[in-house]
Amino acid sequence: MMKGGLARELLRLSVLCIVAAFVLGPLVATALGGFKSNLEIRTNPMGLPASWELTHYLGIIRDPSFWSYLGNSLVISLLTVFLTLLVGAAAAYVFAQIRFFGSRLLFSYLLLGLMFPFATAILPLFLKVRDLGILDTYWAVILPQTAFGLSLAILLFRTFFEQLPRELFEAAYVDGCGYVRFFFRFTLPLSTPILATVGTFVFVQSWNNFLLPLVVLNSREAFTWPLGMMQFRGEYMTAWNLVLAFVTLTILPAIVFFLAAQKYIVAGLTGGAVKG
Amino acid sequence: MADVQLRQIAKSFGSVEVIPGLDLDIPDGSFTVLVGPSGCGKSTLLRIISGLERPTGGNVSIGGRDVTRDEPSKRGISMVFQSYALYPHMTVAQNIDFGLRLAKTPADERERRVAEAARILHLESLLDRKPAELSGGQRQRVAIGRSIVREPGVFLFDEPLSNLDAALRTQMRIELAQLHERFDATMVYVTHDQVEAMTLADQIVVMNGGSIEQVGAPMELYERPRTEFVATFIGSPKMNLLPARAVGRSDARNAGVRPEHIRLDKNGGDWLAEVVVVENLGSDTVVYLESEDFGPLTVRVAGHQSLASRARVWLTPEPEHVHLFDADGVRLP
Amino acid sequence: MSTIPESFPERVGRTLRDGRFTAVILLLPPALVLFSLFVIVPLAESGRYAFFDWNGYGEPADWVGFENFERMFGHSVFHQAIWNTIKLVLVSLLVQMPLALALALMIYRKTPTNAVFRLIFFLPFILAEIAAGLIWSFVFDGNYGVAAGITHAFGGEPYFVLGDRTWAFVAIMTVIVWKYFGFHMMIYIAALQGVPQDLVEAAKIEGAKTLDVVRHVQIPLIKPAIMVSAFFAIIGALQVFDVIIPLTNGGPSNSTQTVVTYLYTFGLSRLKIGFGSAVGIVLFLAAVLIAVFYQRFSNRAVSR
Repeated sequence: MMKGGLARELLRLSVLCIVAAFVLGPLVATALGGFKSNLEIRTNPMGLPASWELTHYLGIIRDPSFWSYLGNSLVISLLTVFLTLLVGAAAAYVFAQIRFFGSRLLFSYLLLGLMFPFATAILPLFLKVRDLGILDTYWAVILPQTAFGLSLAILLFRTFFEQLPRELFEAAYVDGCGYVRFFFRFTLPLSTPILATVGTFVFVQSWNNFLLPLVVLNSREAFTWPLGMMQFRGEYMTAWNLVLAFVTLTILPAIVFFLAAQKYIVAGLTGGAVKG
Repeated sequence: MADVQLRQIAKSFGSVEVIPGLDLDIPDGSFTVLVGPSGCGKSTLLRIISGLERPTGGNVSIGGRDVTRDEPSKRGISMVFQSYALYPHMTVAQNIDFGLRLAKTPADERERRVAEAARILHLESLLDRKPAELSGGQRQRVAIGRSIVREPGVFLFDEPLSNLDAALRTQMRIELAQLHERFDATMVYVTHDQVEAMTLADQIVVMNGGSIEQVGAPMELYERPRTEFVATFIGSPKMNLLPARAVGRSDARNAGVRPEHIRLDKNGGDWLAEVVVVENLGSDTVVYLESEDFGPLTVRVAGHQSLASRARVWLTPEPEHVHLFDADGVRLP
Repeated sequence: MSTIPESFPERVGRTLRDGRFTAVILLLPPALVLFSLFVIVPLAESGRYAFFDWNGYGEPADWVGFENFERMFGHSVFHQAIWNTIKLVLVSLLVQMPLALALALMIYRKTPTNAVFRLIFFLPFILAEIAAGLIWSFVFDGNYGVAAGITHAFGGEPYFVLGDRTWAFVAIMTVIVWKYFGFHMMIYIAALQGVPQDLVEAAKIEGAKTLDVVRHVQIPLIKPAIMVSAFFAIIGALQVFDVIIPLTNGGPSNSTQTVVTYLYTFGLSRLKIGFGSAVGIVLFLAAVLIAVFYQRFSNRAVSR
C-alpha cells in the first residue's frame, strides 16, 4: 500500500485507460467517420478528419424519414412505459394490499415471464398480432412489449408497495378512502422512485428493441429507428460515412438520455437484475 | 508487550483538520482509554495507531520502533472493531485462524493457539458455527479471540461494547478487565462512554475537538479535572458549573461542584433553590433544582429523600470539593 | 372487535362495501389479460404448432408428430447454432466475467475518477444491440473500417474477418464482451460496495495483502452477485440475435448462427411456423432448465 503504491496506482490507471480506449474507440471512430469523405475513411479510419464535412449529418437531419423513425420509436416507447407502469402497478397494488383467494397463484403466474426469452414465442406472437388486425400499427409492438415487461415490473412494484407504511392506508381508510382511490391518490404518487426506475428500464428496452418490430412492422411509415437504420444501411451499402452519420445521430439521444438518467438506469438494470 | 508513542500527530481529510498536532505516551502494559464526544478525533487517532489511517504529520512508534510507514500487520497490533467485523462466510474457528493462516504459521501451532483462545473466551462449543448463528456477546468474544491469537504487543479496541445491551456491556467490561490482567498487554480502548472509561482504564485520555484535554488516572480526572470540559465530561450526573461569585471568589470565572459534593438542608445554607424533579434511585437520590441566582443545579444525596416538587431548600457546597476555572476554562490551582 | 363469526354473505357484503372487490376486479384483469394474450397463449400455441407443418394461413392441419424436432436435431446448422451458443457462454464465464470482476475491483470505490470510468464502461450496455453491431461491422470492414486501417498500415492485403469462417464468430464474441462486460461489472460494483469496509480493514490488520482480501473476503462475500451475473450471461447467450444481424447475418455459410438467428432464418423468414415453433420450444426448455438449475444452485449456496 505504501511502497509501490504509486506504481500500483499507475498500473491501475493504465489498465483502465486501455479498457476505456477499447470501449470508446469504435464509438469515436463512428462519430468522426460521419465527418469524413469515403476515401478518407479508407485511409484514416481512426484519426480526426482532414476537413470536417457536415453534409452527411445535415443530409440525414433534413431527411423526414429519419425523424419519422425516431418519432415512431418515441411514441412506441412512451406508450409502452405508460401502459407497463399503469397496468403493472395496478396489479402489484392488488397483490401487495389485498389478500384474496388465489392471489399467490396469480402472482406466480404473472412472474412466469421472468423465466424465458422473448424469442421463444415470437412466431405465434406474430400470428396473434396478425389475427388481431394490428400488424403494422404501434400497438403491434406496444402490447407484446408491455406484456413481456409486466413480470419484472410487478415484482419490483410489489416489493416497493409492501414497504410503504401500512398505517398510511389505515389512516386513509378511516377517513373513508377506498382501495381504488388510495391506489391513485397515495400509492402511485408515493412510488415515484420505483416508477422512475422501472420506467427508464422499460423505455431503454423498448427503444432498443429490434426483433419484435422487425417481425410485426412492414411499412416504412411505421418503422422504428433500429429498422430504419438497417433499411438505410441496406440502401447505402458502401457509403460508410452516411451510415456512420446515421448511427451517430441515432445513438446520440441514447447517450444524452443515459447521462441524464444514469442513476435510474443503473438502479433499474442492475437492481432489477439482482432482484429478478 | 510494547508502549506507544505519538509525536506531533496531525491528520486532515482534505481541507478539514481533524487532529491539529498531538503528543501522547501510552505506557507498556497500561489500559489506556481514549474518551470524548463523537467527532473529537478519538477513533481517527486509534486508526492512526493501527495504520489503517496515515497521519498527515508526525510519528507513531510502537515498542520503541518507528512504525509510521509500516503496514498495519507489521506493527504488532490487533484491533477489535465496533461492528466486530467477523467474516460471515467463515466459521468461528476459521475467523480466529485467518490471520495465522495468512502468516503461514505451522498448523500445530495454529491449532494450539486457536484452542487456547477458545478456552479463555469460552468459545469451545461454538467453533464450528458461523457468525450469523451467534449472539452479540458471542460475536464480541470471537472478535477478541481473533485478536488474542495474534499475540500482539498492543490491543486496540474501537468502541467494542457499543452494540451490546446494558447488562451484557457490564459483563463484557469485567471480562475485558480480566483479559488485561491475564495478558498484561498494552490496551488502547476508544469509547464515548465515560463510565466505561472510569471502570476500565488505568490511564484516561480525554479528547475534544482533535486535541487532548487531559491525561491521567481515573480518580485524578475526577478529583482534579484540568479543564471545565473534563470536569463536566467525567462524572455522572454532570458537575454543576456556577459563576465564581457563588462561592465568593472574584479571581475565577466559574466554579464547579459535583452533585455529590453539595449538602442539602431545609433550614439554612449558602444558596436557595426550588426543587424541580426528584429521581429516587434507591441507593441515592438525584435532585434537580432551579436557583434564581445561578440557574439549574443538580444534587445527589445518599439514601432515600422525600422532597416535594416546588419545595424551597438550602444548598451548601463542600469547600474542599469546589473547582475553580479561569476565563479560558482552565483549572486554577 | 366482534367475536361472532361472520357469515359468508356478511363477508361478501363487507368486501363489496369497502371497495376491496372493486379494486381486485378493476386493477388486476388488465395485467392478466395482456400477459395471457401475448405471453402465455403464444407460448402454449408454440407447443401445439411445433407438431404441425404449417405456413400460418388457415388452420394447422398437417400433423407431423416429432418430425420438426427430428429435422432440427439432424440439421448441421442447428448444431452449429448450439455450439456457438455454448461458445458464448464459455466466453462470458471465462473472459467477460473475470474481466468485469477485475475492473469492478479497480473502480468500486466512490471517487470522481472511478465514476467516470464506470460511466464509460457501462455505456455500451445501454446502446442498442443493432447499433453496436453496425458500429463493429464498420470496425471489422476490410475495405474501409479500422481493420482496413490496420492492414493498410502494415501493407497487408484487405482482410475481412467477418467473412472468415474460422474467425467470424471470434469477432462476434469480441463485440458481445464489449457490449456486456459493463453490465456484469456494475452488478459486482453494487455488491462490492455492500461489503462492510470493516471486514476489509480487519483482514488488512491480520496481514492480508490486497489479493488475499480479494480472494478470502471480497469474492466469497459477493458470491450471490457472481451467481446472478452468471445466470444473466447464460440466459443472455441464449438470446443473442440483434448483434449478429448487422455483423454477419448468420454467415458466412451459417457459421455464426445462434439459436435465435436460426429460428429467425429457418422458421420465421420462410414462414415455417411449425418448424420455428419447435425451435422456440427448445429455447424455452433450455431457459426453464437454466432457471431451475440456478434456483437449486443459489439455494444451496445460500444455505451453505
